[in-house]
Amino acid sequence: MNYIHFATFDIQAESGAQPIFEIFGWPVNDTIFIGWIISLGLVLFSIVVTRNLALRPGRLQNAIELLLEYIIDTTEGLLPGGGKKFLPFIGTIALYIGISNLVGVLPLAKNPTADLNTTVAFGLTVFLVSQGYGMQQKGLWRYIKGFAEPVFFLLPINIIGELAKPISHSFRLFGNIFGGSVIIALAAFFVPGFIPVPFMAWFDIFIGLVQALIFTMLAIAYISVASE
Amino acid sequence: MVEFSPQVIETIIKAAALIGAGLALIAGIGAGVGQGYAAGKAVESVARQPEARGIITITMLIGQAVAESTGIYALVFALILLFFIIL
Repeated sequence: MNYIHFATFDIQAESGAQPIFEIFGWPVNDTIFIGWIISLGLVLFSIVVTRNLALRPGRLQNAIELLLEYIIDTTEGLLPGGGKKFLPFIGTIALYIGISNLVGVLPLAKNPTADLNTTVAFGLTVFLVSQGYGMQQKGLWRYIKGFAEPVFFLLPINIIGELAKPISHSFRLFGNIFGGSVIIALAAFFVPGFIPVPFMAWFDIFIGLVQALIFTMLAIAYISVASE
Repeated sequence: MVEFSPQVIETIIKAAALIGAGLALIAGIGAGVGQGYAAGKAVESVARQPEARGIITITMLIGQAVAESTGIYALVFALILLFFIIL
């Protein structure tokens, strides 16, 4: 029992969120602090990229335009007419979650998405945006009536189904990234050295990019489902 | 009525949490079967229509992500049992 206790304690310190300092009595976890650094870096990066836009784009502008066009085209496929409108929202989610998932490769950096605070914030934002857009597109009466379809007594089941979406959306990202970091910490705890490196390549780079893609695509799909 | 000391009760709770974490991960069977079925169907579709590989891959990944969520719930519950009940 003592051995298991010791091992789990070490793993939790390795991959769980730890409060590092307090602001006015509110504890700030290290994952949230890294999230702030990533947001700041993204803002500075956007300022640098858009400072001198040229009609004939340079290398950096070309790459960013390719990414943005991909996001617009993907959104346009699921949500006709909403590509440009949802570009700031969907693009922010894709960039922030993509970089948050990849940042675990760096030493001493924990994934901000391995903390439920981050993923639930994103899940709730997507939930509110999808419900608001659905209300705007359908009108208030048709939006409320949409919950009572096809028959009236399915109303509670429809509401529970709608409320389960943000939970599964945020827990999927959290579970994948946190589970990956626990497995990396286990490998590093039992076999230090080069053994954890392929695990890091798989869980941080491949699973991280796939989960960022899935989170973004599901956000688009939820908005599209709520508005039709 | 048998009286247990607090240490014995704590040990029983920890053992039950560990067993529960192990049992929770049985749910991974469902997620694995679902993901494998989706991947197999995607391979069949790519073999039939190789030019539609990109859209098939993205659709397969989204479907697998949805099929995976039950397994992820089980993983989260197992982690809660391991980290928050035992400690």
